[in-house]
Amino acid sequence: MAGFETADQYFERYRDIIPDYEGFLSSLSEPLPLYFRLNTLKIRDPEPVLRGLRRQGFEAEPVEAVPWFFRVEPREASLGNTEEYYLGLIYPMTLSSSLPVYALDPRPGELILDLCAAPGSKTTQMAQLTEDRAVIVANDRRLDRITALVANLRRLGVACVVTTVYRGEQYPLEVAFDKVLVDAPCSGEGRYRRGYEGELLYQKEGRTNLSGIQKGLLVRAYDVLKPGGILVYSTCTVNPEENEAVVDYLLRKRQAEVLSWEAPLPSHPGLTEWEGRPFHPDLRKARRFYAHEIGAVGFFVAKLRRIT
Amino acid sequence: MSGRARKKMDPRARWPVPVSQEERRNILNYLSDRFGFPPDLFEPYEFLATSKNYWLFVRTPYLRELTRLRIQTAGLLFLRKVSGYLKPTTAALQRFGHQATRNILELDRYTLDRLRLEKKIPYESDLEPGYVILKCEGRIWGCALYLPGKLISHLP
Repeated sequence: MAGFETADQYFERYRDIIPDYEGFLSSLSEPLPLYFRLNTLKIRDPEPVLRGLRRQGFEAEPVEAVPWFFRVEPREASLGNTEEYYLGLIYPMTLSSSLPVYALDPRPGELILDLCAAPGSKTTQMAQLTEDRAVIVANDRRLDRITALVANLRRLGVACVVTTVYRGEQYPLEVAFDKVLVDAPCSGEGRYRRGYEGELLYQKEGRTNLSGIQKGLLVRAYDVLKPGGILVYSTCTVNPEENEAVVDYLLRKRQAEVLSWEAPLPSHPGLTEWEGRPFHPDLRKARRFYAHEIGAVGFFVAKLRRIT
Repeated sequence: MSGRARKKMDPRARWPVPVSQEERRNILNYLSDRFGFPPDLFEPYEFLATSKNYWLFVRTPYLRELTRLRIQTAGLLFLRKVSGYLKPTTAALQRFGHQATRNILELDRYTLDRLRLEKKIPYESDLEPGYVILKCEGRIWGCALYLPGKLISHLP
């Protein structure tokens, strides 16, 4: 992908797959909504937090569909300087970032790997949902990103996480996990907004073979699972090459099945065909979430099970 | 992987090494004597030791298996050994401080802000000298050291 493209030109190839395409394009002119998750490891009553934020000029409303999430205005401001952030009572993250964790459905006592974990929004959400009782290994290939993750773990008071620094594609096979989350590095198309987020990562890193990296991560994630273990693959991009094509690759290489799951936000089935190329029919069980329909970053989430 | 990434965050760390039963009892006694933490509060957790720190980590049968990985950090940095004393971390107090019943220092906003700014302020209290839990407007802020006539902030 060379040279400058407008958003309209860039997304044109998705005209047939994005529902209400014109509505999608016009939503790109709005800044992304701002959300935070209440850290229930420290506080379960949102009222004092909402009161404190109000004093600092923020209005927050609970999100009905997703427990412990709040939508905040003004969305252009940063929650990072608030007292509630400093004390680890809130974790700012986009609403759709919660979706892979819902698909994974972490339970106390389970051994879980978060393969591309930094800066830790999903790791800390898993810790919170299991009341700090799952055993979560949070990995990232870069030490500086792990440092940011550890700072977030400390800020939120999480005690159930071990951190490691490995290249995801080469994660050691010595430990077998009940569940693995691969929230893969991606082109980030789902978070694109005109003028606010600058260029798309895809353009910025034009020569990076994202799809190749994602396939390597997903296959390794499968290989470190126990038989019958659960694997969730997610990205914040619309691009089928980084989504269905990657899962389709795993289905051809390994014994895995795509599972259905109950999503708390409006979604669409995964694609079973893209640019004339068919994907495994079960890919319709994967979920696509579009930014203009959910009022947050666009996401793709597939839930899989290792068969043997 | 580069040599830099291979380096552990704490080069002295040997992860994860659970403490002995006796060491655990000592830790729990300290937490209960100094702050009134109920001992069963930490029942779901293991204390792991490095040379100068104790870390809180969820109790799990997977602990041994996890040592096969090259671990950077395990759990929450909970207590530091400071010249013969145990000092709770601010992270630990922010998470569990609401369950404490002793040596909680309730500050008004002005005094808290001054302490955060100046790090050390003149202060008189009838608390026992030692580490205290800072509280302000219902929120746990973290750890400070109270000595007769002064208060020293350990907030980050």
